[in-house]
Amino acid sequence: MIYPSSISTFISRLTVSLLLLIAALAVQAQPKMFRLEKDSIPLFRGFALSFDLVGPAQLMLGDYGSYEGALRINLHDQWFPIFELGLGRANHEKDEVTKLTYKTTAPYFRLGMDWNIMKKKHGPNRLYAGFRYAFTSYKVDIIRENLPDPVWQNLTGFSVEGMPCSQHWLEAVLGLDAKIIGPLHLGWSVRYKRRLAHKDGDIGQTWYVPGFGISDKDNLAATFNVIIDI
Amino acid sequence: MKEQKKVTTTGKRSRLQGMMLIGLSFLLCHLSFSISSCSSIDCPVQNTVNTKYKLVKADGTTDTLNTDTLWIWSPRANGKASRDYQLDDDDTLLINSLCGPSATSFSIPISYTLPEDTIIFALLTRSGKELLDTILVKKDNQPHFESVDCQASYFHTITNVRWTHNAIDSIAINNPNVNYDLSIEHFHLYLKADR
Repeated sequence: MIYPSSISTFISRLTVSLLLLIAALAVQAQPKMFRLEKDSIPLFRGFALSFDLVGPAQLMLGDYGSYEGALRINLHDQWFPIFELGLGRANHEKDEVTKLTYKTTAPYFRLGMDWNIMKKKHGPNRLYAGFRYAFTSYKVDIIRENLPDPVWQNLTGFSVEGMPCSQHWLEAVLGLDAKIIGPLHLGWSVRYKRRLAHKDGDIGQTWYVPGFGISDKDNLAATFNVIIDI
Repeated sequence: MKEQKKVTTTGKRSRLQGMMLIGLSFLLCHLSFSISSCSSIDCPVQNTVNTKYKLVKADGTTDTLNTDTLWIWSPRANGKASRDYQLDDDDTLLINSLCGPSATSFSIPISYTLPEDTIIFALLTRSGKELLDTILVKKDNQPHFESVDCQASYFHTITNVRWTHNAIDSIAINNPNVNYDLSIEHFHLYLKADR
């Protein structure tokens, strides 16, 4: 029997291997990759705005998710400095088994760069490899009412509200976008997230970190983006 | 004419490439939802919070109960510390008949939120004497959270310990932090040598 955690681990390993392969290829082709192609195309090619659809779908279908948008600068169809801004939200009300409630709503941002690794840089479709630095500062409410002491049998409980937490992390990104019509593109990205530093408050650890997902030392996520060239 | 044909072929190829990428996009969109829906529950395997007492001789070497037999219980009256030291139906038996040369330490639970736990320590010695002691453990209680999938619990910081002197000579706090780590020796318990 394959457990969800095993599938998740397999996908994590596969993605990391692919990213390492791309990084190795990029290092091999380094001089070419970072060299500005000599052609008549200008350096500044405009901006693109994008919105992620996976985060809102997660919010609709589950207890946590995010709203996220990004502003990307196109430099010669080769380099794409990017700023991503989002609002992460978790509202897990009274878990069926543990009766725990966990709530947080907070903004997060990511700053980084994508490289178009397609051979033909100026085509309508792009394949990206990139990285992000991300940060969020958030407050969580953790509530457990009527927690019975199994030995002394009295009812206890706690309600921690507005506990301040924060996290810094890095992301390795592999993405793709395809031109649909006019300025409209659709794209996806797979991201391997690695926690750099975190502050989890005073009562153990946090569960959901806005922009990062379920709290762990690393994480795997995907986005599906609607992109508009402006 | 030839140039026009070349442009048309390039446009077709680009559109075909775009369609393939869109198809791949939808496939990967599905994959992204699958990844998002994958979850694992990582609760600590060891999730009991106990205090560990190690029996120590006056010279610092490990003591043992040997032929003595030990019972430990805690009075409970609706979760409040009780001063009724007779074992009755309301009390909770924590250790039942611990004895033998390998009995060099024992672990007992600690209450979630009582400010002070009352532990009754009953020792039947090899000479047939019944010795009854009371241990009072004062502590600070901190709620502990791992994940919404894991039961909440409490960690503690021991602030003081008091005891009576029938079988017990003294108790020293070795490590005041009580958490999931069962290897920590929180108390060093010195029994009277002439018990």
